[in-house]
Amino acid sequence: MKISRPESLDDALSLIADGGVAVAGGSGFQLDFSQGVPAPEHYVRIGHLIPTGIEGCTIGAGTPLEDIRHAGIPLLSEACATVGAPNVRRLATLGGNLAWGKGCLIPALIALDAQVETTAGRVPVLDYLAAPSGIVLSVCIRPLAHAFWRKVGLRQAFTASIISSAGTLLVLEDQIANVRLAVGGGATPPQRLSGVENWLMGQSIWDVDPDDLKARIESEITAPDCAFRTSNYRKRVAAAALTAGMLGHVEKAPTSAITRPAATPAPDLTELSRADGGNRWHTRPDMPAKIRGALEYLTDKRGDDMLVGRILRAGRAHAKILSIDTSKAEALEGVKAVVTHRDIDGLNGFGIVFQDQPALCSDKVRYTGDPVAAVAAVDGETAEKALSLIKVDYEDLPVVDSVEGALAEGAVQVHESGNLVTEVIHDKGDLADGWAKAVHIVEDTYVTPRQMHGFMETEGGWAAPEGDGLLMCAGGQHGARDRLQLSRILDLPEDQLRIVTSPTGGAFGGKDELTVQPALALLARKSGSPVRLHLSRAESVQAGTKRNPMWLKMKTGCDAEGRIVAQEVDVLADSGAYASLSPGVLETAMEHVVGPYQVANFHARGRLAYTNNGAGGAFRGFGANQMTFAIECQIDRLAELTGLDPIEIRRRNLRTPGSPGVLGQRVAPSERLVEMLDASGASPLWTPFEVGPDEIAGVGMALNYQGNGLGTIPEDQADFALALKDGKIVALCGLDEIGQGMIASLHAAVSAKLGCGRDDVVAVFGDTKAAPDSGSTTASRGGYVVWRGVEETAPALEAAILERASARLGRPVEELKIVPGGIGDALANTGAPILSFAELGDIDPIQEHYAFPKTEYTKGNARFIFAFGATLARVAVNRVTGFVRIVDLEMHTAAGPVIDMASYLGQMEGGLVQGVGFTLTEDMPMRDGNPLAKNFDTYMMPTVRDVPKAMRVTAHEGLDDGDPFGPRGAGELGIGAATPAIANAVADALGKWPVVTPFPQETILDLMEGAQ
Amino acid sequence: MIRFSLNGTPAEIAPDAMLLTHLREALGATDTKVGCEIGRCGACTILHNGAPMNACLLMGWQVEGAEITTIAGIASVPAGEVLVRAMEIENGFQCGYCAPGVMMSLVGLLSRDAAPSDDMIEEALEGNICRCTGYHSILRGAKLARDMLKETTE
Ligand code: FES
Ligand code: FES
Repeated sequence: MKISRPESLDDALSLIADGGVAVAGGSGFQLDFSQGVPAPEHYVRIGHLIPTGIEGCTIGAGTPLEDIRHAGIPLLSEACATVGAPNVRRLATLGGNLAWGKGCLIPALIALDAQVETTAGRVPVLDYLAAPSGIVLSVCIRPLAHAFWRKVGLRQAFTASIISSAGTLLVLEDQIANVRLAVGGGATPPQRLSGVENWLMGQSIWDVDPDDLKARIESEITAPDCAFRTSNYRKRVAAAALTAGMLGHVEKAPTSAITRPAATPAPDLTELSRADGGNRWHTRPDMPAKIRGALEYLTDKRGDDMLVGRILRAGRAHAKILSIDTSKAEALEGVKAVVTHRDIDGLNGFGIVFQDQPALCSDKVRYTGDPVAAVAAVDGETAEKALSLIKVDYEDLPVVDSVEGALAEGAVQVHESGNLVTEVIHDKGDLADGWAKAVHIVEDTYVTPRQMHGFMETEGGWAAPEGDGLLMCAGGQHGARDRLQLSRILDLPEDQLRIVTSPTGGAFGGKDELTVQPALALLARKSGSPVRLHLSRAESVQAGTKRNPMWLKMKTGCDAEGRIVAQEVDVLADSGAYASLSPGVLETAMEHVVGPYQVANFHARGRLAYTNNGAGGAFRGFGANQMTFAIECQIDRLAELTGLDPIEIRRRNLRTPGSPGVLGQRVAPSERLVEMLDASGASPLWTPFEVGPDEIAGVGMALNYQGNGLGTIPEDQADFALALKDGKIVALCGLDEIGQGMIASLHAAVSAKLGCGRDDVVAVFGDTKAAPDSGSTTASRGGYVVWRGVEETAPALEAAILERASARLGRPVEELKIVPGGIGDALANTGAPILSFAELGDIDPIQEHYAFPKTEYTKGNARFIFAFGATLARVAVNRVTGFVRIVDLEMHTAAGPVIDMASYLGQMEGGLVQGVGFTLTEDMPMRDGNPLAKNFDTYMMPTVRDVPKAMRVTAHEGLDDGDPFGPRGAGELGIGAATPAIANAVADALGKWPVVTPFPQETILDLMEGAQ
Repeated sequence: MIRFSLNGTPAEIAPDAMLLTHLREALGATDTKVGCEIGRCGACTILHNGAPMNACLLMGWQVEGAEITTIAGIASVPAGEVLVRAMEIENGFQCGYCAPGVMMSLVGLLSRDAAPSDDMIEEALEGNICRCTGYHSILRGAKLARDMLKETTE
């Protein structure tokens, strides 16, 4: 790429005339390239040639948008605040936003009647846009007395524009003396609404009928459909926004579908915060390095002899592979290894449940992200070039793009085994009898999204030959299982593989299955060198597993008193191209099929199908949150029909503690549903609260319970060890630190049990050679594994430590105790050590093996231990845009004693907000098997502006007397009830329940209009 | 080659190289993280002459003569140490992968204005995606830093 810095505007113009592309801030190019725009061969820098700064109403084209944002310019400053984010706005310039033609600011410039000064002369902004010529030098704006602006995007902030609308208005003695209205932004072509303006001119502002105005604006706007929003929505919100901008908002009272519960006394609750936590609040041991950027992630490894790997993806949803020719790639200088299925010595298949996923495809590709080949080269550029030289001949097959299509008669088969992956059926009681008793029936189909994990560190790591074996360092959630899966692929004994899985920059289930490891392993073995490989976000979006979309058809009936008497459920789930853990996800959804309620009669069927829609698999919540969404909305709808409040109807239906679980299995003690309902009843969130003039307020709640552990069928065991080494108590635990606070939990649990300080503990984890296999870092099992491991091993280590100390000090064991820093005098009340741990010498690891507690039921996969929660939400539903703003979230949890407060709080808050994303903004729509979102420009995870203003999390920590099972898992509880709590709050505001997640804003507007 | 300063040390970059790629791939300076490469996640946030910007949107020609500060250089930024300390106390992060970018956005803000409003803190973080925390722990850390800075100036 050539970059020129011309000396004059004339020089710049001639370079541009020769095909150069003008660049000032350059903030938009990377996004363009990611959407397929080819990179220009020649950049012509103009930033130093064009005016910068603001003088009165004239703004230099080189002025960064962040400067304009803070300059107090009518309309334009407000508009700038909605463009990009501040860090991007420091680069982006006014001229660039205008010259790009799709800039969000254009409607504002039109409404400001901007005159554009270019090297070709001065023209009105619309004329410039119609025929851009010359380099933009400055923009002169002409504000009117009133201005209004509304950008509607895909989330609350930092979003592409769906439509932006802007207006300026001058009213003299109640008469409209001047008005300018404009829309544009993103896919919407910039346009001035002259017809409406003409109609308005001269009218008395008081005589303008808002509905008439809205209709006129709507019919004048031209706006397209795009992959994310309809033309109709664009017109509708712009019309509503401009009308409200001119005439203000009409009063609107909330609908209050939800009866307010009577206040209940709160149970024993620990407020989780630093302020309330006192000496239970500790800085996590991994925090200082993370904050300073000093922690080396596995994708950060660099080395002089380290090659860089890249993977060739299918790029098509369903096709036969006819041939793969790698000869040209192999011949490229700098390429050290090219691997295909031909290089696989063992089983060309992996998968935690069934090994149906090829390490590298041989005969067929089943989704666009399927890997076909991989390259290791001296650098990334060479590796990418080599990928482009690999020739694969395909024969495209019809794409199976829906679950219904997959299960239809005569459907094209994604796998030879057929498209139905699993079917789960649960029955209880006598359904006919149940329906006969039903007085109120609610029926609907709830739809849940293909949510992306969106961990900030994409899949990746490095691998190196180690003797005859291999060292694999890649983000993951169960090193020992990755080792098993890799040993099958490589045909290597497991003891020749060492797997390091920590630290991982976020996982949430999305690194549970193998990701880059097969390709990395094959490359390192073939090249004989260390190789690193880190997926780009675009590749991660395409190839990574996603949450299984579900369609949950529910029919629930209750008697006149609100007792649920019958329920029928039919679930369809999209597995994508492979099974991975999707069967487990469906099972878990089905296991929660009646919620934590006693339902005498039900029939439930769930089917999981293969399609060519990406790859589905594990994601925090694991099916439970999907089913909870459906059940918890159903019960609120029954409450409305029976006139009960949400707490009372739940109370009437709650399962009896100690009764069998949904599948008839025995369950663990310490059920805390009543406490969760009481905590909800005591919540201040039910009281009225302020919202904006364009918003409607609503409150809702939902209850949830989440099974812990893998369930009755999969093997679920752990090993754990404690040792004393170099003056530190070493906790050896094979779990992974993926952000959840596993290290903090180890420090907390060990120090609490032994009486040493948190600082005396060192955690060894996430490395199959250094730590024993403690099972997977999934299924909310970590908390229990850590606690039980300490319970099992600490007594023996304590005895060994005290015995040795007794010998050293010549004092009886009874007179000694472990204190922070070493051994203290049990008879003295000072906590100071009389002998340090270092002085004791080393004690070999004391290792124990134990099983995750299970029930004996094996007819289906059933959980034994559960954690309980309740979430309350206050929402403000926007009447103009259909956006739902979460005002408050409150979550009460009951997962036994909290091991580490900061980690536990973090899991709950993070889970809640992932639930907010699931509910409001996150989906990965597909067309013909192709994902429509390619990166974070259109895949919308919550930003800091999308999260509730206030969040409160509490823990009810008590367990039943004699409950031997300790702390419950906390990893998935947070996401469990966020969606139904928000949906119920929206229903409270609108009188109708949204059933499709993420809630389409257009549907919210429809519900709102239907309710009026 | 373009000269710039990286955490106070002279460095070079080709005019058409992306700063982020250059840092992580050519210089092996992996303290700055990569998350999207299109300016939409903030993992790559660095200070460009003290102002937070996305290293994935900057090319070599844009850093000519500039002082680039990454998270590894945070101690040299006026509000750096206080922010680090506050974030430790509040346990701002979980997996920590967003931290280098979030910290640079915040330190850029606090170094310009030691007493920003809550709204300004939120605005400064609009371009930084954190997938783990739900942001509240980060906001608590930023607000604590603001309070601590206030104490030191009073
Ligand atoms: S990597 Fe630069 S913003 Fe995402
Ligand atoms: S802490 Fe994991 S992304 Fe922010």
